[in-house]
Amino acid sequence: MAATLTAGAPARPRKLLASRRTRVGILYALPVVVYLLVLFVYPIFSTLVLSLKDADGSFTLHWYADALTGVNLSVLFTTLRISAETAVLSLVFGFVLAQAITRLKPVWAGLAMLVVVVPHFVSALVRTYGWIIMLGDKGLVNETLAWAPGAPYQLLYNELGVVIGTTSMMLPYTVLLLYGVMRGVDRRLLAAASSMGAGKVTIFRRVYLPLVAPGLASAGLLSFILSLGYYITPALMGGPNQTMIATLINQQVTKENQWNGAAAQGVILLVLTLAGLLLVKVVSSLGASRKKRNAS
Amino acid sequence: MMELRKTLTGRIALTVVATLILLFLALPIVVILVTSFSNNAFAAFPPEAWTLNWYRALFADGSKWPAALSLSALVAALSTVFSLIIGVTAATALVRSELPLRSAVFALVLGPLLIPQIVTALGLFLLFEPAAMLGSPIAIALGHTVLASPIAVLILIATLRGIDERLEDAAASMGAGRLTIARKITFPLAAPGMIAAAIFSFITSFDEFYISQFLSSVDTVTLPVQVYNSLTFEIDPSVTAVSAILIAFAVLALGLVALVRWIGTGRQESLLSVENTVGVAAPGGETV
Repeated sequence: MAATLTAGAPARPRKLLASRRTRVGILYALPVVVYLLVLFVYPIFSTLVLSLKDADGSFTLHWYADALTGVNLSVLFTTLRISAETAVLSLVFGFVLAQAITRLKPVWAGLAMLVVVVPHFVSALVRTYGWIIMLGDKGLVNETLAWAPGAPYQLLYNELGVVIGTTSMMLPYTVLLLYGVMRGVDRRLLAAASSMGAGKVTIFRRVYLPLVAPGLASAGLLSFILSLGYYITPALMGGPNQTMIATLINQQVTKENQWNGAAAQGVILLVLTLAGLLLVKVVSSLGASRKKRNAS
Repeated sequence: MMELRKTLTGRIALTVVATLILLFLALPIVVILVTSFSNNAFAAFPPEAWTLNWYRALFADGSKWPAALSLSALVAALSTVFSLIIGVTAATALVRSELPLRSAVFALVLGPLLIPQIVTALGLFLLFEPAAMLGSPIAIALGHTVLASPIAVLILIATLRGIDERLEDAAASMGAGRLTIARKITFPLAAPGMIAAAIFSFITSFDEFYISQFLSSVDTVTLPVQVYNSLTFEIDPSVTAVSAILIAFAVLALGLVALVRWIGTGRQESLLSVENTVGVAAPGGETV
């Protein structure tokens, strides 16, 4: 059967061919769909179910009430705060670096991109360890700043350390995203504005910035979302006041055997993430319509 | 003149700040590499004396590193095989067929990349714990594949899209059968993408931490979990040597991907030239 149905077989009825392509599609999509339904969708669904169950199996919202009060609530706020600080910093650094790279000659731009991409593929644990060595009392940073008043500075096991660490983890994402956005800006629009007498600042503020704004918003939101569920760096570089949701989930499962509570925390994290992703989608569709309007 | 000076200082300022940001990204890695050869593995930088002790300590008696390394390698190899099977079939379905609910399938594939890994890890823990599979390399590999396979699918979608379908049509028009086309045209052209997908799946699994931590048992600990434990609970200076090896590994893997891509571009170009295309499609032609 397969042998007779070669791709070049002439004059097959169109409908038969289409249904064959559909059958092939379903057959080939089966592995990924089954795999992810069993090992991704179902586990998340059972997390949701578990978060709504009491010890005796009856329905309860107790775990959510628990997750949104007292210490747990302050962990949630800490998570949001650290993620926001990280997002703002990686957006600012990412904007400056991507902007600088777009102005470089191709060879230098390639080298700079290498410095951005290689760390991204080095284990986050390893990079975090690098920061711990660098930010210690006798680390590179404090040795370099030894002349400054008040040195050595406390750069580890506090929020400053955590934000430095997580920002360096998120930065490759924002640089890569923003570089793509900046490369996509139609230079002719800037030239057109310039030919009509607009100054550099005006062009930047009225033409360039509106064009890259949706990209900036998506990049910032993305690093915020990615930070929410993160704990390698906060756990290793922070103190007790920098505990984040992910750490709490881990502790509840591994130390306290408290699965229901962990499940409720997980669902809250999931909802926050989905809300963020929805915002990214809205922002990028706004950007697409703006681009269309500008081009017309 | 005034304007020129202004832009020049602006440009210098931008360069300086950009260099500082690049250092911000690169320095933690450089510091690890240097410290792994340093006499004093804790904090002091730059080092006062050099040593290979931390590397020797990796293989000393009672070291946990060889076991962690071999478990991670086994898990990553399994996960790579699973990801490739899923990746090749899924990319074929998404690019080369008429798939009902195509965008839903694509959204499902992207899911694990967008959802916090800790949530996926918790869900997998709830799945494998009742099945008494915690600590099993298969369970850890199955878990890693949830994260690695979407990356493989994305790479292979790009690969398949990049293959000029006219080459396949040309071969078919000259009477090549479906299998011959797959073997002589599609597979050789997709091979670089498949190698890249395999390398990225391997790294993803090898570096994965959250799922490993939830699915590990006391006796089966993957390399990243062992690194984490060494940084939190026990003081083990040879963790610098492990970290340096992991850096070398990441650079090597990226270099390999770049090399394979470079070879792949050349291959498609040579196939697209007329003589070769005719040679490939001619019955019994062995030009590929």
